[in-house]
Amino acid sequence: MPTVRSWIEDWLTAVTDLRHLLWFRVSTLQRRRPAAVALTVLVVVSVGSATVPAWWPERDPTTLDRLADVVPAYLVALVALTAAAAVASGGGRELLARDPAAVHPISPVTDHLGALVLAPLSAAWLLQTWGLLGITAFLTGPHPAQLVPRLALALAWIAAATALGQLAGWAVEWVRRGPGGVLAARTVIGLGVAGGALVGVLPVARDVALGGPAGAVAAALVGNGRASVATGALLVATALFVVLGGQAAVRVARRAPRDEGRIESRSYAARRAPRSAFSALVRTDRGSVWRSVPLRRGTFFLALAPGAATLVHPVPWATLVVLPGLVVSGCVLLFGVNVWCLDGRGLLWRETLPVSPGLPLAARAWVVAELLLGAALVTVGLAALGAGRPSGAEVVAVAAAIVVVTGQALSGGLRWSLESPYAVDLRSARATPAPPLAMVGYSVRLALVTTSTTMVLASLAEVGRADLVLLLATVLVGWSTVRLAGVRRRWLDPEQRAAVVAVVAA
Amino acid sequence: MTGVGEGPAIEVAGLRVQFGAVEAVAGVDLRVAPGHALALLGRNGAGKSTTMRVLAGVVPPTAGVARVRGYDVRTDPLSVKRLVGYCPDVGGLVPRATPWEHLQLSARLRRLTDWERGARDLLERFELGDAAHRVTAGFSHGMSRRLSVVLAVHHEPAVLLLDEPFDGVDPIGVEATLTAIDDARARGAGVLVSTHLRDLAVRACGDVTVLRGGARVATVPAAAMAGEEGARAYRALLD
Repeated sequence: MPTVRSWIEDWLTAVTDLRHLLWFRVSTLQRRRPAAVALTVLVVVSVGSATVPAWWPERDPTTLDRLADVVPAYLVALVALTAAAAVASGGGRELLARDPAAVHPISPVTDHLGALVLAPLSAAWLLQTWGLLGITAFLTGPHPAQLVPRLALALAWIAAATALGQLAGWAVEWVRRGPGGVLAARTVIGLGVAGGALVGVLPVARDVALGGPAGAVAAALVGNGRASVATGALLVATALFVVLGGQAAVRVARRAPRDEGRIESRSYAARRAPRSAFSALVRTDRGSVWRSVPLRRGTFFLALAPGAATLVHPVPWATLVVLPGLVVSGCVLLFGVNVWCLDGRGLLWRETLPVSPGLPLAARAWVVAELLLGAALVTVGLAALGAGRPSGAEVVAVAAAIVVVTGQALSGGLRWSLESPYAVDLRSARATPAPPLAMVGYSVRLALVTTSTTMVLASLAEVGRADLVLLLATVLVGWSTVRLAGVRRRWLDPEQRAAVVAVVAA
Repeated sequence: MTGVGEGPAIEVAGLRVQFGAVEAVAGVDLRVAPGHALALLGRNGAGKSTTMRVLAGVVPPTAGVARVRGYDVRTDPLSVKRLVGYCPDVGGLVPRATPWEHLQLSARLRRLTDWERGARDLLERFELGDAAHRVTAGFSHGMSRRLSVVLAVHHEPAVLLLDEPFDGVDPIGVEATLTAIDDARARGAGVLVSTHLRDLAVRACGDVTVLRGGARVATVPAAAMAGEEGARAYRALLD
């Protein structure tokens, strides 16, 4: 039938175009060696996480039972994560940014396949995947004949979850672009969050969520079922989700993006003249953040989602100390790793304004810091509601964690902004401040630094050593200050500044 | 020898700018007196925009001299920026700020007072009054160009640098830009205009400098570049 042939041809063309776009992205990599190193590290860590735990010498039966119990919830969380990422980014990542892509006949199906290919290049996706592979290997033990099919099953679940998440992302974006779309999309997201809350508080809902496909796959992963049958079923489901996602992408492409249009066509009332040069710069930078769809949406998501999750599943203060690191790391990735891209080509004009170059840097740092601190405070405030009564050391540790990780993220972000600027237009919800592989590198480095720091602070608080918490925090804040001073010194060099301007305003 | 704050509006001698292995400007000499306008013509990559960026204090020169009203762009870029109004060749606008917010920022950093009425008049003259409070990300190319010219002239700079100000601009915008150049000259500002539109360069400026391969090949009265004969002369200088 002609219709069927045409449909198949569309997909074959999309696959061919995807290959061309991937080749284009690879051939235009600015820093090939770091990219190759990063990819090698990713492969090595993936293989390591899938094998090393199987041969781990200490295999306590209690630990094995406890791990087996959390597998269903872990599988469901992976689906929730991929869906949340695709929904928040308005349909996932782009192989080619929208404006340069506009001149090429790139079909929505190609776009969909590109988003699927890029989905793994996110720290959250990678960490969850490594976690699942590691748990599977640990539970299976040193038995290659059993390990291989179970790892295949785990990978099939990850593939199905990614494809389903992408489908959810397109579906919500289709709703958002429709009549009354913003309200409708928020309602859909609200229903999703409410569903998650019900799973948290109602045992019946939890049994339904964890007992369906997740329960069956979890059983097969721990050896209570045939892994090959479950893997086959998941691969069929993955293919179905991929095809449905492609159809959803075609429908989304027929509707105009709503959020950017709303922001770009509305009128912003004139405000009184700023009192100082610094406040003028801060005001401009704040506008650039809060009028950007991905930045606004990302900030609200990161500030509210972890806190909302703790309302459902309250966490103790010892765990709460770790939360600011996760939230701040996520927020700085929104634009803080390429801070000058906020100005786009306007950076060229801003550079001609008669002001000492240190002042715009200070204003930019201020705006990033207030966003990081604000998001961390909201998260901690929400989490504190159900965390019970803290000890004095725990309060000190949480406060120290907020300040320390903000300093770490700020100094790291500003340093990377200077060393590796990119010309990026943060207009679309799908835009990121740096290429996907660079974003993975930034997020892994941030996660390692902030998480290890907050875990040490939490350990010190647990043994009641507020004095050591304060001492460590002082040292770490001092180190961040030294690094910030280094960034400032380099930014004041006109040649380094000109190099950043040349790239960002290109 | 002239001191700072006096003398030629623009003085460039032996200017060189190197980006890695690429020499973008390879020995440019220019001189623009107060109240005069000079057009920079040349093919793509001739070094026009880089020369403009040096004079605007954005790109430091690799070698040579570049002075604005006697202030050296290398040693006193802040003073240069106070004197200059610059319209960049690309974009030049903060995407999520409104035209009015651009003007407010510029006015605050330049310590201007009572600037609002003049800014409103300028926006109206460039037909941007209705868009004064919309973010520039939604602007057309022509609107962005016109706003860049407004931002360059609103503080009545002593030196006006316009890089491709007519690119994609409608006839009303072109007339407004030509008027802005005339006004700047009338109050004694030095004007440097880079453009590919030879006819408009002839209309706007008294002299024309042609750059080729990052170096100056000729400076002639604008009239010599007018009409068919001027087109032939220009082509001969480019080849």
